[in-house]
Amino acid sequence: MGRDISVLPGGGMRMLKNALSIARKEFADAVTSKRLWLIAGIFLLFSIASTYSTSFGFRIGARQTTRPMVQIASSIASATAYMAPLLGIALAFDAISGERERGTLRILLSRPIYREDVINGKIMSALAVTGLTITISSLAAVSVSILLHNISVTVDDVSRIGLFILFSVVFSFAYYALSLFVSTFSSKSSHSLVISVGIWIFFAFILSIMSSFIATAILGPPPTRALTLFNMSRRQFGNFTTPGGATPQELEEYLNYVRKVSEISGTIQAFSINYHYTQITSSLFSFVAGPLGFGRGEITIASIPTILSTRLIDIIILIVFPIVFLVASYMVFTRRQEK
Amino acid sequence: MGGGENMSLAVETEKLVKVYGNGKTMVKALDGIDMKVPKASVFGLFGPNGSGKTTLISILVGLLLPTSGSAKVLGFDVTRESVEIRRRVGLLPEGFGFYDHMTALENLVFLATLDGVPSSQREKRALEALEAVGLKDRADAKVSTFSRGMKQRLGVAQSLLKDPELLIFDEPTVGIDPEGAAEFRNLVRKMNRDGKTILLSTHLLYEVGMICTHAAIIREGRLLVQGSVDELYRSVREAKGFRYEIRVKPGSDMPLQEIRSIPSVIEIAQSDNRVTVLSKNDIGSILFSLVTKNPYKDIVESLTPVEPSWEEIYRFYQEGG
Ligand SMILES: Nc1ncnc2c1ncn2[C@@H]1O[C@H](COP(=O)(O)OP(=O)(O)OP(=O)(O)O)[C@@H](O)[C@H]1O
Ligand SMILES: [Mg+2]
Repeated sequence: MGRDISVLPGGGMRMLKNALSIARKEFADAVTSKRLWLIAGIFLLFSIASTYSTSFGFRIGARQTTRPMVQIASSIASATAYMAPLLGIALAFDAISGERERGTLRILLSRPIYREDVINGKIMSALAVTGLTITISSLAAVSVSILLHNISVTVDDVSRIGLFILFSVVFSFAYYALSLFVSTFSSKSSHSLVISVGIWIFFAFILSIMSSFIATAILGPPPTRALTLFNMSRRQFGNFTTPGGATPQELEEYLNYVRKVSEISGTIQAFSINYHYTQITSSLFSFVAGPLGFGRGEITIASIPTILSTRLIDIIILIVFPIVFLVASYMVFTRRQEK
Repeated sequence: MGGGENMSLAVETEKLVKVYGNGKTMVKALDGIDMKVPKASVFGLFGPNGSGKTTLISILVGLLLPTSGSAKVLGFDVTRESVEIRRRVGLLPEGFGFYDHMTALENLVFLATLDGVPSSQREKRALEALEAVGLKDRADAKVSTFSRGMKQRLGVAQSLLKDPELLIFDEPTVGIDPEGAAEFRNLVRKMNRDGKTILLSTHLLYEVGMICTHAAIIREGRLLVQGSVDELYRSVREAKGFRYEIRVKPGSDMPLQEIRSIPSVIEIAQSDNRVTVLSKNDIGSILFSLVTKNPYKDIVESLTPVEPSWEEIYRFYQEGG
């Protein structure tokens, strides 16, 4: 059975007008909501606090670095990795289910508008809100760090931070899209919230823990003698050339094991959008984030074009993920009937 | 209204069927509805809980799609042209709500925007609508501070914003106090005088029955009857008899032999100064000529046909006609 089609002459403009009216109201609601300010506030506190521990490192000289801003930004990035998804979820979990629950959806849908207008308006507003919130709070965190720790910033730093903000907005929006999808078929916002946060916890924490479990389950326990020896040598600040009794073969065996573990767990974690985001931001700010944090140290920073090309797959996944869920939300919502 | 003529009908449905769910849990909420709502009528859709009123109304404005059959509202098809319908129809849905954090006026101005009211007129329209439902003095109060009845009134107000040709009210008087219900009836009468068609659903017959010019009675997804109120009265009378009430002067005795001798009279009841006559046929004119001559002339104060109550009509059809 055919439904109204909105591509009538002049329909496009009218549709945009209605979607914009809804977007304007949604935007006003969002920026005046406690929820948004709470998340932005926690993010600021969280990121400024973590820049302190980084800058403390500078002062005692343990980690002398030529790029202090990059180090600072990487601690802001670790805060964003948690807060961006929560921001997306906060904006989306009751976007549709809340209107359904309160009966405002019926009032909206009895206007001469299309169901598409409702979801388009919400998406437009969410893009603006995630964009502004992440940009403003990241810039605020960066500025505060600059003032507090008295560091200088280069043009390259600025480009990295710009890219970081862009990817963070996409990441936040990915969670928005995911949670919007859940919201379109939930009749209760509380269900929608629990499901969305559950998925976030799974992607952010459980999957990475699970992945190392699975890897060990597949590979069996690490070669014991190599492990003991390795731990001994590690205690001497990673001086691999004084193995204290371990033969080069034993060390090689151990490193192979570690490599395999990280390969398997990386494959499993590839299902998590968080993983891809972290891959991109950690490349931008040049710390290597393996499952064991292995190999962290003085590496020269890759250039931006190099990062963009080596992380292309991660970037594509980061962008495709929200698109898939937006399309899914769109399909579920526009085909649903509301009594 | 003769019916049949498309131009004279605000709503016309044909073999409308709605089935909810699929597989195991199928519910046939509408089972072949042919409903005709004449233009400029006040049409009551009466039926018990779960009879399909809300389902039918939701299909008319395009919130739900029919499983089969078709329906036209103001000449537009409900599946293909529902936006055109919603441009011209004001709806008070069931179980609606407002944005609690916004004021009544802000809510209405926002909805007027989506109704396509030009920006220069939105506030004026919103205030007029609030005035019509007696909420003008609460225009700037947040909806979260409203009582249930006030929200219901606001619900009526939002349906007026686009100045619709047809108004559809689903259970309009639920939660409203008696004064509010009376005000609502006046509002409906006024809108009807202005030429608007009003379709309202309810199971509270006593609250809105008296303002209807037309009605349909629905049960388990089927229309048991529909037509003008006069037609409904007549068919109930024809089945259950015509009832007349004769009031006599206090203290006087009314001779009943002559009335009893009218062939179609079934039953005569007398109490105090009131005589009720039940007859198989319409004996209004016979009774009239009787009571205007002696000896009745001096005893009888009034003679009135007793119209069946809505409850009576409703029960009559719900019990199978
Ligand atoms: N979403 C749904 N899914 C399944 N069945 C439904 C759904 N909505 C309604 N029904 C069923 O369809 C039938 C008609 O429901 P509807 O809400 O149209 O009745 P109603 O006449 O408006 O009742 P009320 O007076 O209680 O408002 C009922 O049997 C109901 O259980
Ligand atoms: Mg109902």
